[in-house]
Amino acid sequence: MAASRRDKFTRGWWFILPGLLLMVAIVGTPLFMGFRYSLHDVFLYSFRSQNFVGLENYRRAFADPLYMNSLRITAIFTIGCLVISVGMGILVAFLLNARQVKFRSMWMALFLIPFVMTPVVGGIAWRFFIWQQEVGVLNQVLTFFGGPAPYWLLDRDTALWATIITNSWHLIPLATLVFYAALTTIPDELHEAGRVDGAGPFQALWYIVLPMLRPHILFVSIIIITSAFREFDMIWALTGGGPGRSTTVLSIFAYNRGIANQDMGMANTIAFTMFIIMAVVAWLYITVYRKTLGDKA
Amino acid sequence: MITARMKKRGTVWIVHALLGLWLVISLLPPVMLVAASMNRTALFRSPLDLLMFRDFTLENFTQAFTRGDFWFFFTNSVIISTSAVVITLVVCVPLAYGLTKISGRARQAVSFGVLAMRFIPYVVLALPLFLIFVNLGLSGSRIGLLLAHLSIHIPFATWMLVGFFDTVPHELEEAGIVDGCSPWHLFWNVTLPVVRSGVVALAILVFIISWNEYLFALFLAGNNAQPLTVGITRFLGGAEAGAEYGIIAAYAVLVIAPVIMFALTANRFIVSGMTAGAVKG
Repeated sequence: MAASRRDKFTRGWWFILPGLLLMVAIVGTPLFMGFRYSLHDVFLYSFRSQNFVGLENYRRAFADPLYMNSLRITAIFTIGCLVISVGMGILVAFLLNARQVKFRSMWMALFLIPFVMTPVVGGIAWRFFIWQQEVGVLNQVLTFFGGPAPYWLLDRDTALWATIITNSWHLIPLATLVFYAALTTIPDELHEAGRVDGAGPFQALWYIVLPMLRPHILFVSIIIITSAFREFDMIWALTGGGPGRSTTVLSIFAYNRGIANQDMGMANTIAFTMFIIMAVVAWLYITVYRKTLGDKA
Repeated sequence: MITARMKKRGTVWIVHALLGLWLVISLLPPVMLVAASMNRTALFRSPLDLLMFRDFTLENFTQAFTRGDFWFFFTNSVIISTSAVVITLVVCVPLAYGLTKISGRARQAVSFGVLAMRFIPYVVLALPLFLIFVNLGLSGSRIGLLLAHLSIHIPFATWMLVGFFDTVPHELEEAGIVDGCSPWHLFWNVTLPVVRSGVVALAILVFIISWNEYLFALFLAGNNAQPLTVGITRFLGGAEAGAEYGIIAAYAVLVIAPVIMFALTANRFIVSGMTAGAVKG
């Protein structure tokens, strides 16, 4: 017995070790070096001369109104994408799961396209064909009904919301897919029972579907938070962080500081604060997820 | 009775109308790209004009192929994406399998680490890698960019594959052990075939992620390793004037064609890959 347990132990580790070492090297090295750079004065074209400055970069970042502005924009962007994607995801999944809908896998395959479409290309497509002031589809529709034709991406007040909506368009399919897969596992009897008790579609959604979806909502939320928080490509293609700094999320702010301003110490500091924020989110998620599963079981 | 039936009919219509509306919103951007790529576009034109192909031409595609080094970007994209898939599978399939074979604290610690790595924002890795690669002489090389891609693929793939391996019943391997199979034989001939479709799903997702990746390429590709996603932004400067905009659209269509084909044909695998882990603990 003891021998077979040891066999089992070594057998597993032989498979694990090569990959584990590679993973630690490939993720751990930049993580460690990034933290190191954040404690130094490092400039892009003279990066071999690094002065240790301790937490000075962090103090400078938190005292910088531009950093705080980026933090605020990142928070709005993340929460905006989260709310829209989860809400729309549930709605579309609920519609798709209606008994009368046929060819469901075909609908789902087509709904998936925005998710697999290259975000940079998605951003370019929205910028040229949807948000464009003169010939964009949105303004064409608005002016057809006698509405205004704003410069969506060139106006500080609307640019952030335009990027949030575009990025949600990219993320909604993921939410739809997970919620739809979960909905198909809800037994018909439950809906049947609801109908007998006189529940309409909205009551069914609220009292039957939503409680069943709770663990899935948590799962989708965390993926969307992680993805929206670090988003760079989509925003870069839509607005490049402008107009002004109205869409400069932390990823873009770090890029600007590090590559454009060549202040690599500061850029790594900004990035590392992002890492810390995500570490807290990860910790919260793992605790909450265990609890949710715990009281379900 | 009649009213109930009519009400039912009404619901069917509303459901389909809403789904149809959502489909239009979902597909409008790619459809407009295709429309613009196949029209002569000297200036910005109205969407209806484009969708009716009033001025049909394939000139934009010839331009996209011949101008702006399309094949150079394409080669980089193909090499990086396919190598990323191969290496990720070679590394992560055994790693994930091994994780389901060990037990207790060790497994929990490694799984926790893998999960935690998935939360790291890409820019956190990209910035230090920029300097590390300059030091190692890897800046602007495909190998450097590939390593950066692997830093996001390996945690993602391991986490996903553990979910697939966990579904394989223990009895299967125990039968193999009784028959005296070697550990390698157990892995390769007994367990791996069971999770084959999961591995295919993973390969497709990794390919799509690599193909679509932009941030690492922007930071690390220099002049010699730029993939298509960087290539397309090269045109953007001229686009604001409207002049190059048909060519950009053609270029964009070429960039998204492979991933969209995957979405439509390998849809079953993508669905199983994306929903994996949704219900597990």
